Amino acid sequence: MSARGLATLLLTLIAAVLLSACGGGEDSASAGGSTRDATLVDEDNDGLPEPGPGELLLDRTEIAPAAPLQSEIARIGILNDPQIRDEESPARVPFLDRLGAPFTTTFRPHEALSTQVFAAGVNAIAAQEPEAVLLPGDLADNAQRNELEWAAAVLNGERVDPDSGDPGYDGVQRADNPDPFYYRPGVDAPQQPGLLSDAQQPFTPRGLGVPWFPVLGNHDILVQGEVPPTPELEGLATGDEAVERLDEERLERLDVPPDSALAPQLVQNLLAAGRLPGDTRTIPADPARTLVAPQEATDLLRDAAAASGADLRARAGAPDRLDYTADIGPRVRLIALDVVNRQGVSRGVVTPDQRAWLAEQLEAAGDRWVIVSTHQPLDSSVGGPEVLELLDAHPRTLAVVNGHTHSNEITPRDDYWVLSTASLTDWPLQGRMLRVLETRGGGAAIETWVVDVEGEGLAGKARELAHLDAQGGRPGGDRGEREDRNVRLFVR
Amino acid sequence: MEVLSARGLVKVHGRGRAARRVLDGASLSVTPGEVVAVVGRSGSGKSTLLHLVGGLDRADAGEITLAGERVDRLRERDLTRLRGRAAGFVFQFFHLVPELSGAENVELPARLPGAPAGALRRARTLVERLELGHVADRLPHELSGGEQQRFAVARALVHDPPVILADEPTGNLDPQAAQIVLGLLRAAADEGRAVLLVTHEAAATAIADRVVRLQDGVLVADPALRAVPERLGA
Amino acid sequence: MRAALADAVRRLRAAPGRAALAAAGIVAAAAMLGAGVTVSYGLTTGFERSAQQADLPDVLARFGDEEREEVEERVAALPNLEQRTYRYEETSVPLSANGESSEDGVIHAVRGERRGYAILEGRDVTADDLDGAVVERGVAQEWDLEVGDTISSGSQISWEIVGIGVSPDNVAYPLASSLRIYVSGPALEEAFDFVLPVNMALLWSTEPERTDVLLQQARANSYGLSDLRFITREGVEVAVGEAAGIVIALLVAFSIVALAAAGAMLATAAHADVQRRLGTIGIQRAVGMDRRAVAVGFAASGAVLAAPAGVLGLALGTLVAAGPTGALLLTLNELPPGGALVGPLLLAWLVVVAVVALASGWPAWRAAGRPIVGLLRGSEVARPRAARGLSRGPFGLGLRLALGRPARLGGTALVLAACTAVVTLMLALASLLVDLSDDPASLGKRYELTAQLDADSAPDVRALPGVEAATPRYELDATASFQLGQPVRLIGFEGDHVPFEAPPLADGRRLDPDADGLPEAEVGAGLAEALGLAPGSTLAVQLPDGVEERFRVVGVVRALDNDGRVAYVPADTVSQAADESAIAVKLTDGASQAAVQAGLIDLGAADAGEAEAATTDDAAFLATLAALLRAVALVNGLVCLYALMQALALTARERRGTIAVLRATGAGRGHVALLLGGVVAAATIPAVVAGLALQRWALGPATADLAAGYADLQLTAAGAQAAGVAVGVALLAAFASWWVARRTTREPVVVGLREE
Repeated sequence: MSARGLATLLLTLIAAVLLSACGGGEDSASAGGSTRDATLVDEDNDGLPEPGPGELLLDRTEIAPAAPLQSEIARIGILNDPQIRDEESPARVPFLDRLGAPFTTTFRPHEALSTQVFAAGVNAIAAQEPEAVLLPGDLADNAQRNELEWAAAVLNGERVDPDSGDPGYDGVQRADNPDPFYYRPGVDAPQQPGLLSDAQQPFTPRGLGVPWFPVLGNHDILVQGEVPPTPELEGLATGDEAVERLDEERLERLDVPPDSALAPQLVQNLLAAGRLPGDTRTIPADPARTLVAPQEATDLLRDAAAASGADLRARAGAPDRLDYTADIGPRVRLIALDVVNRQGVSRGVVTPDQRAWLAEQLEAAGDRWVIVSTHQPLDSSVGGPEVLELLDAHPRTLAVVNGHTHSNEITPRDDYWVLSTASLTDWPLQGRMLRVLETRGGGAAIETWVVDVEGEGLAGKARELAHLDAQGGRPGGDRGEREDRNVRLFVR
Repeated sequence: MEVLSARGLVKVHGRGRAARRVLDGASLSVTPGEVVAVVGRSGSGKSTLLHLVGGLDRADAGEITLAGERVDRLRERDLTRLRGRAAGFVFQFFHLVPELSGAENVELPARLPGAPAGALRRARTLVERLELGHVADRLPHELSGGEQQRFAVARALVHDPPVILADEPTGNLDPQAAQIVLGLLRAAADEGRAVLLVTHEAAATAIADRVVRLQDGVLVADPALRAVPERLGA
Repeated sequence: MRAALADAVRRLRAAPGRAALAAAGIVAAAAMLGAGVTVSYGLTTGFERSAQQADLPDVLARFGDEEREEVEERVAALPNLEQRTYRYEETSVPLSANGESSEDGVIHAVRGERRGYAILEGRDVTADDLDGAVVERGVAQEWDLEVGDTISSGSQISWEIVGIGVSPDNVAYPLASSLRIYVSGPALEEAFDFVLPVNMALLWSTEPERTDVLLQQARANSYGLSDLRFITREGVEVAVGEAAGIVIALLVAFSIVALAAAGAMLATAAHADVQRRLGTIGIQRAVGMDRRAVAVGFAASGAVLAAPAGVLGLALGTLVAAGPTGALLLTLNELPPGGALVGPLLLAWLVVVAVVALASGWPAWRAAGRPIVGLLRGSEVARPRAARGLSRGPFGLGLRLALGRPARLGGTALVLAACTAVVTLMLALASLLVDLSDDPASLGKRYELTAQLDADSAPDVRALPGVEAATPRYELDATASFQLGQPVRLIGFEGDHVPFEAPPLADGRRLDPDADGLPEAEVGAGLAEALGLAPGSTLAVQLPDGVEERFRVVGVVRALDNDGRVAYVPADTVSQAADESAIAVKLTDGASQAAVQAGLIDLGAADAGEAEAATTDDAAFLATLAALLRAVALVNGLVCLYALMQALALTARERRGTIAVLRATGAGRGHVALLLGGVVAAATIPAVVAGLALQRWALGPATADLAAGYADLQLTAAGAQAAGVAVGVALLAAFASWWVARRTTREPVVVGLREE
């Protein structure tokens, strides 16, 4: 064999090796993106989600028959419930998590990775090239200023420093905490030493790059999504004392109510006093943990959204409510309603003023297609069913988009659809794309599909932990059924 | 006065259909100072005869007297003692103990219980006399055939036995070495011993006083093989 | 190849005596191999095999009684969960059948598709079986029960035995004090119209390698369950093995060592055989055969001989060892290997044939490379310098002769040394096993009695005459917190534990019960290895009450208890949750144990027995163990005896030529016997010394290490035993010399001459 022949052979071999390394199987860690291309499933039930086949769009014709599709009139991304978390804050109650429902949301094994997961979700949605992104609420987790600021920074591509208090991690998941009911990545399976300190590292996210439209959620202005801030709670949040473990006796005496409606009362009772009985620990205080008043929150979000290029037309006379309209392209109008109950509890409430305003805006929208968005689902909010009926009457209602449930669910109303999407907090850590198209005959259709957050680095690890969480979205079925995910919804 | 005699020896080798009467009434006698050579074809039983008279094997029938004792009647223990006193053997394949030096081989009989006094001294003298002093410390595999056989002869003489039984002593030697060994045997006879020599070589018969032939299991005199007048050695 | 084999057969036919001798040696060594393979394979794979057949769950959790729905809710959400089922366990139930009875019955009300036990006879209980029960095999054997018999509790309830089952999650009755039966949970609920609580959860993970994440989630969601204990398959194996673990480990280790010895004997014998046939090789070479052909020829001879001899030997060894091994396994609720043994035995057979072929072929190859003349002359005689000094008598002469052929001498001595070592090892093993069952010091215990009394009775106990010291002792079985499912036994003494129980310290220092900060712990070497601990590390233990207790490891000890997975800790960390609490009582020298025991009973002790030793002293179990030991000892002992005799006899026989010469010159029988004695002694004396040394410094420690490297087992023969073996071998050597001398001097001298 000549020298040239040999060289060719070698190069071919090298190329083959490189190609195979590139194209080869992605593991779940690096997977992500549109689930029309590939999904993440745990087919073999071994606790590890792995890449699976993509899901094609399913036609749903419960409201209107299938019609030929014409032009696209809007392409919108949806990112739900990122619940950016200052996990080291003393104004939290992770020690209640072990009691089970209804406290299962007070602690999650991946709680320290909220900013990284959000950034991964932002990247995944940005890759789908939306013209605008809707965020149906719960950008923050615990009504803390720093949480809202981090959320805005992730969306706008500004530097994020997810660490609070002193440098480094100082929360309940640290390895030397002898409390086995928390997942401690340094010592518990699956062991991830260094995870927590990596999670505290500042980073600069890419940002969405397109205008984004926020909706206010309960966690944005209520502590633990249930309790309105009080001076005592403020003192707790910005103070230097954290409860490590609630008094065992106290915990046992707690009459854990099966009815989740009473749970907030319980949390309130525990927190409202401001001083919690039990083992406390001195931690570094951080004034950035200050709790926001509703107006502060709405101002912050409005300003941050404006910075992204979003033009919000706020409801006059209610600056402390994030009610507004906005146009997405010339053919679609968004109406955002702030249904968070300022008195506390997580259930939404629609005021009569809001309903009246909504009716006006529906009229003003003309023949634009209308998308209404609230954080909590309207059918379980006080005054919500009336709103839904109102929307039933309006012929140009396209869809109602909400968050809060953390699960994929698409239900038909008489002539519009109600869409709920999984969160960026619990499994399956997904966002959604919404593509509005006109159909022949003057109708419209919505193509929608769910998008997995990008799986590199910490976000991938968070996804793994979220999958394992026995209190999380996996046993809860948050992924929804096939028809709740990638579908083509016909409206009229 | 014969010191070694055998009468009517019968020995059968093999069993059943392969049985062969190697000796069938052979008779023989040797007197002191006499060299008797037994000749015959290979496989004719010459060695068997020698083994029988030396008590190395048991005859099926016949009488054997060695140095006044009835070999065929002795128990093994007494036979052993008799051999130690009265017989010296020289074998075709030398049969030196390979792990001992030439001199040590010679000394073997001298170290047995019941060895005559002065046997050790005699051993050393013999080694010198047989011109083996310069190779006395060598192991048998380092010696030539002639040297080995001379050591064997020395060993046979160490306890001053009246009878020497030599089985094909020159069978494995070159002519010069053969001459030397035969000379030694003749000398031993001249010193008053009875030497019975089994051989198939003509040169060996030359030193014999009498030659007998083993044929069909019996010994017959063979005047045709009378020793030539010249004697080897002095 | 075929030509070589045909040739080999022909050659063997030509010298049947020699072939028979060689074959007998191979049969013997193969028997040893067969027994060794049976014991070691059967015992080491016993648990795995039965766990497989019984479908043992990956996680077994026990907890206080709970509603099934509530537990199911927690369990159903766990990741990596393939299947789960629940049981209700009721203990201390009086049971009787076939005239036998016990107060220690355990009833498991089972449900679901996967059960976690294997049915050996009859069938399993189903949801329709109100009166049916599956009885554990150990009980069925002990009480002589069959399918169709009745077992009852008191006068009210009785069940028909529909099946006999076995589960390796506990040892068999009567080694375990409790006896177990399985009944149908749903059937009970249906019949009595109530809902059974559950207190056991059996979890099967989809991916056993990831059982740890399953366990972590289970633990994180277990708040509210009382007295929760997890155990994984590994933990079960450790717990079950406790009764017999160390014994089995020793047996297995010994078998492996015996395997090695058998291999050495085979190789040596084959090698020596070639040495004896150098002349043949010389002729072959002279005739024009090339090296390869010579070697292949010898290898083929070896293989042709070894193949059938190997089969016979392996079969013999297996037959002898299989019965007792199976019996021992059954006491552990484990299953005998049955057909699975064929694989390893086949492999062993191949090894036998390969070793013999190689050990015949390779030296033949080497020899064939030597000058032909040298070969024809026979094997070289060496010139030992020391030989000069030897006495000239027959014994010394014999020594001289032996030393003149060092290669042969070496081979013989090697075989003798191997036999000596193996026999001495067996004796040491027997002594150790006795110690382990009788002597608490084997666990590092320095106290004699254990009194079932409360901690506050300690001062009263100390006041008793004959008591030197007494202190409360607690024991708690828990799991490691960061590696859930890894068992940890916590042992706590009040105050300093060293005077009472102190296995030897391997690293670090003893714990200080009054230290500040984290409580200190001394961990067993087995635990240190399993969890990766060293002095300075943190040991985190999950207690049954949900608390994670952390300790700073300050020392590592060579503890034998619980596979070395123990930790000595301050008493206050375990006294609350302890499984067992008692007072350890140390007696003064010369005190009467019976008197002190009586005194303790007077104080109100529920029991005042002797401190436990490393293995159980259950009579039935020891009897089974003894049977196995005897079988193994029989095979190995006979093999060694045979090898010894053969080596000695061969050594003596080789001198026939020389003996014939000596007889011709007048040496009598006595002389010859002494000569042979010298020849044999030349090999025997160094062999015995080497064999004893080999056992003391190599085989003994290697076996002990193999069996329980985490502990400090002493597997050395006592002086008396070693002396006994030495004397025994010497006697055998003397006997062999005398025997050959006798035989040789009976035949005519000429026969020996012909040999040369």
